[in-house]
Amino acid sequence: MKDDDGMVLRTVDLKKHFRASKGLNLSSRSKTQVVRAVDGVSLSIPAGKTVAVVGESGCGKTTLARTIALLTEPSGGEIYLDGQRIDGGRESHREVYRKLQMVFQDPDSSLDPQMKVGNSISQPLKGLTGMSDREVRKAAVESLEAVGMSEDYFDRLPRQLSGGQKQRVAVARAISTHPRLLILDEPTSALDASVQAQILRLLVDLQKKYSLSYMLITHNIAVAGYLSDMMAVMYAGNLVEYGPCSDVMSRPRHPYTITLINSAPVPDPWKRNLLSVNIKGEVPSAINPPSGCKFHPRCPYAQAVCSEVNPPLEEITPGRWVACHFVEKTA
Amino acid sequence: MANLLRISGLTVGYRTSRGMVRALDDVDLELGSEEFLAVVGESGCGKTTLGLSIIGLLPPRSAKVTSGSIDYKGVDLAKLDPNEMRRYRGSEVAMIFQEPLTSLNPLVRVGDQIAEAIVLRRQRKGSDQRTVGEVMQRLYRTDKSGFSRWPRLRSKIPRDLRDQVIEWLNLVRIPDPGQVIERYPFELSGGMRQRVMIAMALSQEPALLVADEPTTALDVTTQAQVLRLMKEIKDKLGTSILLVTHDLAVASQVADRAIVMYAGRIAEDSNIYDLFSSPLHPYTQGLLSCMPTGTKEGSNLKPIPGSIPDLTLEAVGCRFQPRCPRAMDVCLQKDPTLMNVKEGHKAACFLYER
Repeated sequence: MKDDDGMVLRTVDLKKHFRASKGLNLSSRSKTQVVRAVDGVSLSIPAGKTVAVVGESGCGKTTLARTIALLTEPSGGEIYLDGQRIDGGRESHREVYRKLQMVFQDPDSSLDPQMKVGNSISQPLKGLTGMSDREVRKAAVESLEAVGMSEDYFDRLPRQLSGGQKQRVAVARAISTHPRLLILDEPTSALDASVQAQILRLLVDLQKKYSLSYMLITHNIAVAGYLSDMMAVMYAGNLVEYGPCSDVMSRPRHPYTITLINSAPVPDPWKRNLLSVNIKGEVPSAINPPSGCKFHPRCPYAQAVCSEVNPPLEEITPGRWVACHFVEKTA
Repeated sequence: MANLLRISGLTVGYRTSRGMVRALDDVDLELGSEEFLAVVGESGCGKTTLGLSIIGLLPPRSAKVTSGSIDYKGVDLAKLDPNEMRRYRGSEVAMIFQEPLTSLNPLVRVGDQIAEAIVLRRQRKGSDQRTVGEVMQRLYRTDKSGFSRWPRLRSKIPRDLRDQVIEWLNLVRIPDPGQVIERYPFELSGGMRQRVMIAMALSQEPALLVADEPTTALDVTTQAQVLRLMKEIKDKLGTSILLVTHDLAVASQVADRAIVMYAGRIAEDSNIYDLFSSPLHPYTQGLLSCMPTGTKEGSNLKPIPGSIPDLTLEAVGCRFQPRCPRAMDVCLQKDPTLMNVKEGHKAACFLYER
């Protein structure tokens, strides 16, 4: 994962650490602790493809997305967008956000409740492109239509729309500058099943139409499987597995991926996977993660070395990357 | 399977600023003992209202049961006054909620909370006449009035109670329960808190456990553990479970039977296998083809067009008709009722009218 050819986005050893203080900080002895939310992630996103980053809450997937979108300063590592390094103020945000946009989980908090739908789309569009008012209006209507809404919605307020329509508006705003990469942070988690399906279909259509690349952040394996070409599995700040989505889902190799995929409920009463899966323990605390491989206390294959050395992400077969000392045991 | 609960014609309305919302509309439902029933539907379909009406926890000012009955072992729960209802709530019908942190008292150690529930249970059953204050006063620091709810710094639950609390925590597979009873809710993880809630509900030995989205706030691996636990409990203790969920996949994994709700009504009622192999109602069929399976190339993901109706408006005809791919003329004029299509499989749709 070193080559920029055909890659829209590439991160190298990206880190984001937060400081957390314990307790009330009354005495000088209380020391600041570090939460390693993202702890050295190298990930590439091929042009026109979707890479899903899956994992449970607290694994760092949203922090990874926010760091890549420059919503928070990385603590270390590099981010390249279209071959240009963008972190640390090397490129103006205006340049970056023309190529990279984000769609958030909850449209109620990502859309200004006081602002008409049309303005929500045109204002950032104008700021980023410097087009004339007429051109901006035309482009905004175009992106509204691209998400299956008519110009009639231009003057509506978010509260006059349904949840699905609001998320469409959020998508319309994100694609209005014709970006190269969309970061989708749980784009359908707040939606009902029937509306989720509408948005998923829309995202697939838009990707084809505008040859967009997606970075999809989700905890929902089924959504990831539907939308993605590649899947990256994150656990406690590290990538533990990366590869073609269908391969990872059908033949997971990292013990955590196996657990994660087996615990996702399958809509099939004849295949009651949940009742047979055996899971130990829970997601570790980010402040005090286990030593070595962070999954070792829950891992059925763990040995002494696992508590000492954190295994690097290694290519086990072409295109398949796994971070495990005993990857041969899951073959 | 003997019937434990029989709901007939239940209609519940909420008073809102935009007028009356009919959250439940003429709902008929039977639940057998030792049955695991899932209530499935999208937001606003009335599934939570159904759970709350069974346990008598509808918001008293805004909600009103306008008609219908909830027959539990021969008693109509819908007609009980709040004091009478208290005898049933907990000891006969218990409920667990989506977010355990808002259901547990943040200021009381989890062991004390479970102990208090057990004392209440003994009192209700008449096996122990002492009040919570009398049994638990060693637990709580007393003030001039004799009883205050502030916990002492270290919990000192009476010996026999402590053993029982630990027993229940063991049953829900909480590791190291002796330690956990000393903890406050905020010190536990989400999965542990939900287990504590389940333990507290089960300590009442209810015949029916209503679980409202118990795993929605949990991670998938934790969700798998909690669902598995609920299934074990049903098999071990014979408790009937009514699981309210938005997730058909979750329902398919644990339930014996499922009802699908849409806009306050039951669209389909079926054993879980028939529901997935031969769904009858077009809404159920739509929901099933909305589930993302497979990949974007080789997938048959078919969204249901439109969105859920506004329940403040009086509806004529089938509520699903505007979104239904198989709508007929009759669907505009009449409202379908739930009818037997096959043995153990009911649907409210004119396609199956004979």
